[in-house]
Amino acid sequence: MSHSAVLPARSLADRLTGTFWRRPGLLLALLILPPLLWLGVVYLGSLFALLLQSFYSIDEFSGVVKEEFTLKTYAELFRAQNLDIILRTVLMAAAVTLACAVLAFPIAYFAARYAKGGWKAAFYLGVMLPLWSSYLVKVYAWKLILAKEGVLTWAAEGTGTGFLIDGLLTIPGLEGSSLSTSPFGTFLVFVYIWLPYMILPMQAALERVPTSMLEASADLGATRGQTFRTVILPLAMPGVIAGSIFTFSLTLGDYIIPQIVGNSSRFIGLAVYQLQGTAGNIPLAAAFAVVPIVIMLIYLTLAKRAGAFDAL
Amino acid sequence: MTAAVEFQNVSRHFGTVKAVDGVDLTIAEGSFFAMLGPSGSGKTTCLRLISGFEKPTGGAIRIFGEDVSSVPPHLRNVNTVFQDYALFPHMNVRDNVAYGLMVKGMGRAQRHAKAEEMLALVKLDGYGDRKPAQLSGGQRQRVALARALVNEPRVLLLDEPLGALDLKLREAMQDELKALQHKLGLTFVFVTHDQHEALSMADHLAVFNEGKIAQIGTPQDIYDRPATRFVADFVGSSNVLPPELTRALGGPAQWASLRPEATRLATSGPVTGTVTALRYLGSGTRVVIRAGETEIAALVPAGQPVPAEGATTAIAFDPQALHLMGAA
Repeated sequence: MSHSAVLPARSLADRLTGTFWRRPGLLLALLILPPLLWLGVVYLGSLFALLLQSFYSIDEFSGVVKEEFTLKTYAELFRAQNLDIILRTVLMAAAVTLACAVLAFPIAYFAARYAKGGWKAAFYLGVMLPLWSSYLVKVYAWKLILAKEGVLTWAAEGTGTGFLIDGLLTIPGLEGSSLSTSPFGTFLVFVYIWLPYMILPMQAALERVPTSMLEASADLGATRGQTFRTVILPLAMPGVIAGSIFTFSLTLGDYIIPQIVGNSSRFIGLAVYQLQGTAGNIPLAAAFAVVPIVIMLIYLTLAKRAGAFDAL
Repeated sequence: MTAAVEFQNVSRHFGTVKAVDGVDLTIAEGSFFAMLGPSGSGKTTCLRLISGFEKPTGGAIRIFGEDVSSVPPHLRNVNTVFQDYALFPHMNVRDNVAYGLMVKGMGRAQRHAKAEEMLALVKLDGYGDRKPAQLSGGQRQRVALARALVNEPRVLLLDEPLGALDLKLREAMQDELKALQHKLGLTFVFVTHDQHEALSMADHLAVFNEGKIAQIGTPQDIYDRPATRFVADFVGSSNVLPPELTRALGGPAQWASLRPEATRLATSGPVTGTVTALRYLGSGTRVVIRAGETEIAALVPAGQPVPAEGATTAIAFDPQALHLMGAA
């Protein structure tokens, strides 16, 4: 039996491990290279290509893209019909985000603070299951649910609450022959589809709030409401913001739901889809695509300034 | 003297687990009271019963004579220093300390002034603008202390207050806590599993075992005259002698404790054993002798001859030092 202080290298793996130990930077560089290439070239590269496109313009007669730097395309965004699209999309995204946050909070809070073992598994399954099935199937299913002959109207009539739906459909801005052709239907489907993206980060944030912190608050004399406002909400804020980034930006970019449910009024995603397809106006489509990026940057700056990330 | 906290046959059962089981306890006003015990002995649950985070399943709890059974934590004039400090990470130190005043509706200027006063009391003046994450463990603990004291509670509860600190800081904080308690004249109740901490800081302590109080008394009572085998084992470095050995040494057939300082080595005697371990302590040498099934430690003062490991020696002791106790 050898009693040498240094063991012989048995294989290539031993020698490689030795090399990495002597030069720690090497392993890090090797590990980081593929994701860096992906992120830098494929991801950001295509984003910059898009950005570049938005500074070109289209020749109105020939329909050919002129590869000259101009802000003309951006100016077009400010035409009434385009501003209308942007405003409508941002309002919808804000409403969807707010509704998702309000709906998700109690679910996330229960899952983070009270659910244990089997209940926790049921929670994850319940939240994730809808994500595993086709998005299109779910949207079409909602179209049927919300349709005039759909189950919702049927249930409302059966319980004598049909006037609620009829009343809702007469509110200016939400008019439609049924929920499935009203902007309110679009809103409902958006909320349904994006809700898991709000619940999960919220739950993760709430789970990191130790029980002792809530007890400390009560110990110092705070009521439940005060604890919620001054401790739970600020500590959950990074999760709420993370969730709202998903719901907000996903709504800003979606082009399928407004096509299927609602009154076919245009949203940013739909505008981009039509501009780059049928209209062939790539520069304007690119300019439209930049709008959500700018909105998100503004949103995050405001959130940071309001102290939403203080708990991080 | 008024009783600050009174437990009358208090129980807290979780299903079949009796975390606290029929505890009677009186904590005098102005005392520094320790609840000592191994983990799971019910000491922390007792503390939480006082703060209101646990509800008793039986018995009555009174704080300064008032029954608090149906009083929620936020209405009890009792504050806690939590084991993990539980400082609010999104607030700076000043707002943390002022929190108790803020929720009571005190104006900003006034509560900030009060917070600064408290920070000065715990020697953290000038730290108000920092975030808890920018403080060391010892500093965080002082903030937690200031935050609990700002409400001027009638009883201050401390849950393993020094557990997360390193040895040197712990010793410094022990002295400081003691001085602070003296200065404020408040009733401090603290939970610990460290017997040295309990003995050196408390003026009275209760030793917990399996949800019950094994013994209650002054540190000296408990150290010198442990009531049960458990207390002797847990609190002291005392030798615990089984009944046969006590009898062989000339006492009655009962469990007994014998302090190593009072145990001597002799050339002949009724009980002999083999030296199994030696530990040099500076002021003397701790000699462990195995006599049958029992290990007995004796402290040989510096300058006296120390036997070699493996040597056979007899045990002698000062008869007054033999303390008889119950078997539980």
